[in-house]
Amino acid sequence: MEISWLQAILLGLFACLSSMPGMGGSSIGNYTLGRPLIGGLVCGVILGDVTTGVLVGCAMQVVYIALVTPGGTVSADVRAVSYIGIPLAMVALSSYGLSAASSEGAALATSFGTMVGTLGTVLFYGTATINLVWQHMGWKAVEKRDYRKLYLIDMGLPWLSHLACSFIPTVIMCKLGASVVELIKSTLPMDGIAMMTLFTVGSLLPCVGIAILLKQIVKKATDFVPFLFGFVLAASMGINLVSATVVAGMFAIINYKIKMLSVKGVEAAVEEEEEEI
Amino acid sequence: MEKKLSKKALLKSFHNWYYGHLTCFSQEHMQTFGYLCAMLPLVEELYTDEDAKAEAMNTYTAFFNTEPQLGTVVVGMTAGLEEARANGMDDVDEETINGLRAGLMGPIAGIGDSLVVGTVIPILLGIAMGMSGGGSPLGAIFYIITWNLFAYFGMRFLYFKGYNLGAKAVEFLIGAQGEAIRDSVSVLGGIVIGAVSATWVSVKTSFSLLNEAGEVYLDLQSKLDEVFPGLLTAVFIVICWFLMSKKQMSPIKVMLLLVVIAFIGVVIGFFNPGLAY
Repeated sequence: MEISWLQAILLGLFACLSSMPGMGGSSIGNYTLGRPLIGGLVCGVILGDVTTGVLVGCAMQVVYIALVTPGGTVSADVRAVSYIGIPLAMVALSSYGLSAASSEGAALATSFGTMVGTLGTVLFYGTATINLVWQHMGWKAVEKRDYRKLYLIDMGLPWLSHLACSFIPTVIMCKLGASVVELIKSTLPMDGIAMMTLFTVGSLLPCVGIAILLKQIVKKATDFVPFLFGFVLAASMGINLVSATVVAGMFAIINYKIKMLSVKGVEAAVEEEEEEI
Repeated sequence: MEKKLSKKALLKSFHNWYYGHLTCFSQEHMQTFGYLCAMLPLVEELYTDEDAKAEAMNTYTAFFNTEPQLGTVVVGMTAGLEEARANGMDDVDEETINGLRAGLMGPIAGIGDSLVVGTVIPILLGIAMGMSGGGSPLGAIFYIITWNLFAYFGMRFLYFKGYNLGAKAVEFLIGAQGEAIRDSVSVLGGIVIGAVSATWVSVKTSFSLLNEAGEVYLDLQSKLDEVFPGLLTAVFIVICWFLMSKKQMSPIKVMLLLVVIAFIGVVIGFFNPGLAY
C-alpha cells in the first residue's frame, strides 16, 4: 500500500485541524478529529479502506482514551497519533498481511501509533513556540489599540505554525512511511525477539491509557469497585459496551438519588434549626 | 440610559470563545488571546470612547488558562461583569474581574479535566467503540454527533448561565448538587471504563508447562481465567495505576517500563504473540 501525494496532503490538512492547539478549535479539532477512533474513520476514507481505518483507530483509542492535558502539558500528540500513526499502521498491516481485526493486528497498530504519538510531542511544543511570535505581534496590536488585528493573531496566523509543525511533517512521514515499514520488515523478522517485544508492548500499552483514567476516578480502594464491576459485566457476563453503559447509568441514577437525599436532609435540618431561632 | 448587551454581540463573543480559545496557544500565554477575542465584540458594543475601550481590553490581557469547555462559564460571567462596569457600577473594576478569573481558573480546570475529558469523553468513546467493533464507521459517527452537540450546546448553556446568574452560576457547579452529579457521573464512568478495558485490552500469557509426554498439563492463561476472566489484564491495569498514582511516575516512564517488561517476558517465554511469516 502506497500513500499518494494527494492523500498525504489531505492527511496533513487534518493534522493541522486536529492537533492540540489545533485550527479546528478544541471541540471539533482536538476532541473530535484528534481522537484516534475518528482519525481512523477519516484516514480510512482518505486511504480507501474504512474498515481497517476504524479498526486501527479503535485499537489506538484505548491507549489514548483519557488524554488529559493538564495545564498544557502533553504526553502524546493527537495529530501524530491520528494522522501519522494510523496511516503508517495501515501501511504496515497491509505490508505484513495482517488483518486489523486480529489481536496481532491491533497490537502492531498500537505499538506503531504510540511510538509516533510520543515522538510527536515535539510537534506540540514546536507549534506552541512558533505561536509566541504571533502573540508578540498581538501585544503590539493591543498597545496600538488595533484590536481588530487580534482576530488575525488568534485565528489566522497560527495556520503558519501548523504549516511548519503539522502539515509538512505529516506529508513527509506519510510519504516516507511505506519505505520505512519495508525496511523494518526486511531487517527485523517477525519471530525475532525485537518484533515479538513490539507486539507484546502493543498489547500492554492500553493498560496505561486505562490507568491514566483510573487515576482521575480512583482515590481510595473502594473506588475500584465500579471499575471491576464493569470489567465483570463485559469479561465474565459477556455484556456488550452499549448495554453495559445502560446498566452503569442505572447505578449512576441510584447513586445520585442517594446523594441528593442526604443533601436535602441537611437542608431540611438547617431550616428547622432556623425556625427554632 | 442603561447599557444592555445585544444577543448578537453575546453570541459573537461566545462563538469567538468556542472556536478560538486555544487556536493561538503558547506555553506562556495559553488561552489569553482567545479570551481577548471573546471579549472584543462586547467591549466594542459597550464603549464608544477609545480610552474606555482600551481600559476594558487591558483587563483581559491578564493570563488565563482553564479547562475550556467548562471554563465558558467564566467568560459568560465576565460578560455580565463588563456590562455592569459599563453601567458605572462602582464595585466592579479591573481588580474584581481579574480576581474572579484567577480564582476560578484552578477549580474549574480541576472539575473540567476530570468531568469532561476524564469522564464524558471516555464514556462516549466507550459506547462508540462498542458500536465500531468489527470496523463499522457507525460508532465514530455516533461520537462525532453526540460529542459536538453536547460540547456546543453545553458550552452555550454555560456561557449564558454565567452571563445571567453571575457568581451564582458557579454555585451550581461546585455546590452540593454539582458534587452529587459529579460523583454519580464518575460511578458511570468507572463502570463503562471497566467494560471498555475488558472488551478492548487483552494481556495474555503463553506460559505453559509440559509433562514428559510433551502434553500441556499447566496452561497458565486458562488457569488464570478460571479464577477471574481477564485477570492478567486487570492486574496490569492496576499495576500501571499504582505506579502513576502512588509512585508519581509519568505515563511515558510507565510505557518505557512496559517495554522492558515485554522484552523480559518474551525472552523467558511468558509472552509470545505467536507470529511467523
